[in-house]
Amino acid sequence: MSLDRPARIHAGVIVALLAFLVLALPSMLSAYWVDVTTSVVIYAVVALGLGLLMGRVGLVSLGQIAILGLGAWVAARLTYATSLPYPIVLLLAGAMSAVLGTLVGLPALRLSGLFLALITLMLAGAITVVLTTTQFPNGGPGFLGHTDSSLGSNAIRRPAVASSDTGYFRYTTLVAVLMFGVVVLHLRSKAGRAWAAIRQSEASALAAGVNITRYKLWALALASFITGIAGGLLAGSVGKLYIVQFPISGNILLLAAVLMGGIYTLWGAVAAGLLIKLLPALLDNWGLPPDLLTILFGVGILQVLITAPEGIAVQLPRDLGRLAGLLSRPFQRNQAAREEAP
Amino acid sequence: MTVPALLGLPSWEFFKPFIVTGLALGGVYAVSGVGMVVLYQTTGVLNLAFGAVGAMGAFIAWELNNNTSLPDWIGYLACIGFGGVVTLLYGVAFGPPLAGRDALTKAVATLGLALILLGAMSWIWTDKARSLDLPTTNSGFEVGGVMVNWTQVIAVGFGVVMTVVTIVFLRHTRTGTAMRALADDREITATLGVPVRRVEASAWLVSGLVSGAAGLLLANLVGLDAATLTFLVISALAATLIARLSSVALTLAAGFIVGLVNAMVTPILSISQYRDMTPFVLATIALLWVSRKDIRVTGLR
Repeated sequence: MSLDRPARIHAGVIVALLAFLVLALPSMLSAYWVDVTTSVVIYAVVALGLGLLMGRVGLVSLGQIAILGLGAWVAARLTYATSLPYPIVLLLAGAMSAVLGTLVGLPALRLSGLFLALITLMLAGAITVVLTTTQFPNGGPGFLGHTDSSLGSNAIRRPAVASSDTGYFRYTTLVAVLMFGVVVLHLRSKAGRAWAAIRQSEASALAAGVNITRYKLWALALASFITGIAGGLLAGSVGKLYIVQFPISGNILLLAAVLMGGIYTLWGAVAAGLLIKLLPALLDNWGLPPDLLTILFGVGILQVLITAPEGIAVQLPRDLGRLAGLLSRPFQRNQAAREEAP
Repeated sequence: MTVPALLGLPSWEFFKPFIVTGLALGGVYAVSGVGMVVLYQTTGVLNLAFGAVGAMGAFIAWELNNNTSLPDWIGYLACIGFGGVVTLLYGVAFGPPLAGRDALTKAVATLGLALILLGAMSWIWTDKARSLDLPTTNSGFEVGGVMVNWTQVIAVGFGVVMTVVTIVFLRHTRTGTAMRALADDREITATLGVPVRRVEASAWLVSGLVSGAAGLLLANLVGLDAATLTFLVISALAATLIARLSSVALTLAAGFIVGLVNAMVTPILSISQYRDMTPFVLATIALLWVSRKDIRVTGLR
């Protein structure tokens, strides 16, 4: 591999971070915080999907949480109905979500911008109503697999290799890394370049011979696939699923978190995962009301749109860099003065 | 057997009360939709915080009526006034910095306002069940065996009257003409010496007042719940989308259709649980229908 120096440092940092995350972190945390960290990882994957659509292709979806719920439903149904290995369950959940996401996306070929965002919000609303009525499978009979009695219901099974909370956290992290890897591969290949061209200008992308229809649909399918996999991970993580985990307002909160995290780098997805899952746990820990988070996200949307479109993942390092520059300026000036002196 | 019975439809008698609820809700959706369309055409902002603003106004009215000794009508006025003030402040503060951005960015920014209000509401007024009753809800009359209360009458009347007033206003007043001009072309309108900021501010104010009034009515017709009232904006949005975000008269009709279909599905047991899907499904169909051709929002009519 011929990587230049900054790229090697970047890769080294990522490997070190992952090693710490998988090997050291779980033993340092209590069961509660392992749970929180698992959901941070899962929502980072969800944010990855939306970030891909918004930052790379320029499509805004207000229905990602509904697709997450759908993926969770499919995964839960499969774990009760079959004894398929968990990776297959995840793949099927991802595939089903990809099919639905693409169907939802078909109008995206004609609609653009505002109207696409609105249609995804409408379809998210429709999916939420359906999921509210059918409820989530909990081991009951029939196609829906839901029973109201507490006797018939049991928790969604986890992969055999990862039945403990720590084990499941490691499993989740591994799958998440794979998802980030899939996206990185896409961005470095023909698809990534096509998306970049579409985001810049559809007219010039068309002129350059990019098949806009195909690549837009491909982006929607990929983002939905990733979100469906995250849904499958979520199903195993919580054991029992309820519609309150997928409210319509969740779609908007996710959009806020992804915008605040930053849509032009993949680190933004990690930041969004932290914002949407770690922050509420911290607020709860400090005895602050969770509604503060909603208000903060609202302010965040306005702030990002007006002053900082790149989000925390880009803004924070740059601001820290500026701060460091500011702090080191007196020293540099002294040095310059010394060098000038004869 | 008759055809309706074969389809599993209940007899006509069961539908009657739902016509009244449907029309009342439709009236509020219509007036909300008209408020959103006029604001969208004048300023380019699709205000997705419309429901949240009205909801917060309704909670303020509840607070004033239950925890102070002020007369009730002050609470109701405060609700409408709150809608106007908050929307105007948002428009004046965030309208100009976002004026050059695309419609999507402007709409997403209003989601920021919606989240702030939603968070504030569930923080201040926790999830305890509340109800806000206008005095008009407790009295009514009977039509063809169905009880109709005055709030429902006001809702329908408000929808129709506001639409007619808006149409007349847009056609025959100076500000209305300026608004239509802005909808057609912002730059040219500014060059012709129309005070763009002032015309936009008036659109923000009026649409805000309408959102307050709609919140007050919906809190009566549906219930006083922050999340429900905030997301009822989707039903109004469905009406505006059916009207392609441009025709005020069509928005009125679409509002009534959304309200009626939603309510009429209730007594049909087989699909009753799915009735909340109505606005989403209608709006999706409308969007797909509109997108048959190149989607271009035409001027304000």
